[in-house]
Amino acid sequence: MNLLSILGVFSSAIFSGTSLLYTTLGEVIGERSGIVNLGLEGVLLVSASSGFAVTVITGNPYIGVLVAVIIGGLMNMILGYLIIHRKANQLASGLALMFFGFGLSALIGKSYVGAKINALPRIALPGLENLPKLYSSLLSFDILIYTAIPVAFLVWWLLFRTRWGLGLRAVGENADTAYASGRDPRLIRYQALFLNGLLAGLGAAHLSIAYTMTWTEYMTAGRGFIAVALVIFSRWHPLRAIVGALLFSGAVAFQLLLQSSGVQVSPFLLDTIPYVLTVLVLIAWGGNRRHSAPASLGRVYHGTE
Amino acid sequence: MSARTFLRIAVSNTLVKNIARYVMMMLLALLLFGIILLATGKDPFQSYRDMFGATFGSAYGFSEVLVAMIPMLITALAVALPSRVGLINVGGEGQLYIGAAFATWGALTFKDQPAWVLLPLMALLGMIGGALWAFIPGYLKSIGLVNETITTLLMNSIAPKIVGFLIFGFWHSPMDTVKTENFVSAARLPTFFNTRVHLGFVIALVLLALFWIIMKYTRWGLEMRAIGGNPQAARRNGIPLKGYLIVIMCLGGAIAGLAGMSHVSGFYGVLILNFSMGLGFMGFLICWLAGGDPIGIFLMSFVVAIITTGGNFLQLTQGLPYAVINILLALALFVVLASPKFFEGKKA
Amino acid sequence: MKKKLLYILVLAALLLSACGQATAVPTESPVAATEPPATEPATEVPTEAAEPCLIIGALYGGPITDAGYNQAMHEAVMEIKANIECVKIIEAENVPDEAGATTTMENMISQGAKLIIATAFNHQYPALELSKKYPDVKFEHAGGWEMGPNFANFFGKPPDGWYLMGVAAGKMTKTNKLGFVAAFPLGWTLVFINAFTLGAQSVNPDVQTIVAYTYAWGDRAREADTTNALINQGVDVITMHVDSPATIISTAESRGVYSIGYQSLAAQQFAPEYWISGTGFTLGGKLTWIASTVIDGTWKPIFLRCGIAEGCMAIAPFGPRVPQEVQDLVMQVKADIEAGKIVVFAGPIVDQDGNIRVAEGEVLTDDKMSSVDWFVKGVVGSPK
Repeated sequence: MNLLSILGVFSSAIFSGTSLLYTTLGEVIGERSGIVNLGLEGVLLVSASSGFAVTVITGNPYIGVLVAVIIGGLMNMILGYLIIHRKANQLASGLALMFFGFGLSALIGKSYVGAKINALPRIALPGLENLPKLYSSLLSFDILIYTAIPVAFLVWWLLFRTRWGLGLRAVGENADTAYASGRDPRLIRYQALFLNGLLAGLGAAHLSIAYTMTWTEYMTAGRGFIAVALVIFSRWHPLRAIVGALLFSGAVAFQLLLQSSGVQVSPFLLDTIPYVLTVLVLIAWGGNRRHSAPASLGRVYHGTE
Repeated sequence: MSARTFLRIAVSNTLVKNIARYVMMMLLALLLFGIILLATGKDPFQSYRDMFGATFGSAYGFSEVLVAMIPMLITALAVALPSRVGLINVGGEGQLYIGAAFATWGALTFKDQPAWVLLPLMALLGMIGGALWAFIPGYLKSIGLVNETITTLLMNSIAPKIVGFLIFGFWHSPMDTVKTENFVSAARLPTFFNTRVHLGFVIALVLLALFWIIMKYTRWGLEMRAIGGNPQAARRNGIPLKGYLIVIMCLGGAIAGLAGMSHVSGFYGVLILNFSMGLGFMGFLICWLAGGDPIGIFLMSFVVAIITTGGNFLQLTQGLPYAVINILLALALFVVLASPKFFEGKKA
Repeated sequence: MKKKLLYILVLAALLLSACGQATAVPTESPVAATEPPATEPATEVPTEAAEPCLIIGALYGGPITDAGYNQAMHEAVMEIKANIECVKIIEAENVPDEAGATTTMENMISQGAKLIIATAFNHQYPALELSKKYPDVKFEHAGGWEMGPNFANFFGKPPDGWYLMGVAAGKMTKTNKLGFVAAFPLGWTLVFINAFTLGAQSVNPDVQTIVAYTYAWGDRAREADTTNALINQGVDVITMHVDSPATIISTAESRGVYSIGYQSLAAQQFAPEYWISGTGFTLGGKLTWIASTVIDGTWKPIFLRCGIAEGCMAIAPFGPRVPQEVQDLVMQVKADIEAGKIVVFAGPIVDQDGNIRVAEGEVLTDDKMSSVDWFVKGVVGSPK
């Protein structure tokens, strides 16, 4: 194990953790308002495919990112309509959205499988431009990576330091009480879902336009569900989500480091660790009210009419 | 009886009304998907002709619909049973994988046994596997520690990886690609009439009937409904709440595990990495859309199976990716989900 | 309640009107074609009406534009159409598993297919089963080993190409470490890795091949992670056996590391600068011949394996950084293989632990290759 390979684990963790972090941040906002989005996998896929397709067509990755983000928000509006307006079950609606995403992304991406794109450009950390390419390429990040942690702080600020965030959390705890104190739970939940979709779109864009530079069916490989798990792991807190996302992707990178240095550990078992950890964390914090989920998570808000 | 009175009776009949509503909802979904097909330059009419021709046009095509229904029926039941005591089992996917893995162990270890020994053994193993996987969330819920929705969901992500570990660690040879060796024929559920419809279909129907009878006519059914209605009151009335929650959750898991066994034994005849790709989730959706009602589960599974089976044809005749059929599936689900009346009294 | 009824009525009306519109739109429908304003009646009708001389059903395990295996197979099948105009081809992509393959082939046969070309590994046994049910349909499987009265096999000889790639890689590497990103530890994958390593060792005895698995055919993010992990171990040539090479080659390019493609020659576009070469399938000619024998009724089940000399495999153009002498050396070795002077898996071959796997004077035959479960000496990684 040399300097390069250790540096490589960090670099890989950052690269593949970024899409997870954005998606998790979005889901934190959604769940804080009381909505579990099991359709994230589908949202990610549709955003990734449409962002990629637009990048191919326009040749401009920034337009691709923009489209991915907007599409992510719009996808979640379907969910919003079902569970806020039509008061459908959240879990079932989310799963339906997931299947929708499987299909729609395949349709959108069909003509672009195997296409080559101008990926988001990578900019080396200042002062490191003159290292050999082998090193500098590890430490050259695209714009979405540089903005990931600031966005996490922004989400934290929104949720915990603004009136809007206070309202959103109030809705997540008890929509009726929030309504009684003059807030509109439906509007707030729509807003939360839209933000959830925007951030998932950013994550998806990073995956297809910046990191892997390809589109293929089902390329997210479960990242939507990982994000849902990470939200629980980080106890519905945006800043802990940073740690969670990095830990998760770091574990994958570490496993690959072991493999490529000739050490054999079952990658399947290593892949279960984040989930097992999350279950253990849940058990450890189980009874403690302070660490638990927003109280009305998953509940339907029936309104007062 | 005049036509008008007949019509009035028919309309007042909830079953007829419900069926009419379902038909309308499916037509709406077909309309929406047709618009999407048109937008992509495909001919929706030809597409639907192909789809329904493939499923209703031949005995074999229709048998494929029944084949596709099997895992949906069983996994939906694995959700329906726990939901009667208020447990939300999103973990059918994981329980199915673990059940399949246990059954596979049986199939590979006791391959010299005759079918009448091996198949019941595999079924039992599958149920044990699923039950064990469901025990953890059931127990954590019963002691009031962690919500079962979250744990079952997380454990869904763990189970396929354990299957991967088992395949690549123990059950795999280089010629097998991503699966175990093929099961011996004694470890295959028998099929009927030269089609792929296997014994799992009968098992599924028997289970559905059993479920209906138990819920309607037995003391257990009554107690379960009491718990589902108001757990605290049920406990005050002397129903052992904690035990019920654990046992019911494990039973749900056992049913999902049986679905896994039936799928690897009846359908594939081999355990493949990531073979399910959402069967358990589909069961959850179907159960929820059907309100946990056995007849509803059967009808919903039938509709979903027609869509997924017929969808295979779209790629041959229209050149659409197979995954595109998920759009029609999701649209059908959206329409049903968006229907508020359907869910009255079903919400937690 | 009334409102709801109205709602349903409106929907029904909408549906009906949409139906009415939709029937008028399609140009292929014969009704529309006979009407005067129809767009292109004259050219469309005859081709539709003409009976195809053979309907071919081709199924692939992944997307046909993956710049990888499936694209190579798809292009070969399309070459049949280019050479024999009267055939009709029905294709299905993304048919990865057994059960889906059975359904798909049944559907193709119900559409009139008389020749089924099943290209994914997992299609072999479903196709064999169906060949018994439909004795008048011919089945051709890519790369399998089973045979039957109406079931046969065709494939290239990838190990030769891999050996050549190894020669190029062994010459180009400075660190003497080559990286191989593999999806799964499968028999054929191990054969490729072995052939690649043997080729590299033939020109550079100190060379090592480091293998890492992604355990998925198409998890692109993990492919990128794996490529980076290998590069960080000091590897300076990357090659792969996954569905699509796009992500791996792009990632290597962005790190300034050489790459070698496999399966489809289309992979080169992802590495304009650090591309060495690649080997891919060009089976169109042989498939055309197979189709023609089905049409004229002379088809026989043949276990068909053909290599570079017969035009079934090709070497991609070299990248800009490959010196002329390396190119010449590879071409020299290629000529030697074609002339039979070099046999890739000729003994003695020693595995990682020093056991002799192929004795002196023996050769590892094609039918043994799919069950290889060992790596030659010089490979770092686990064959399981």
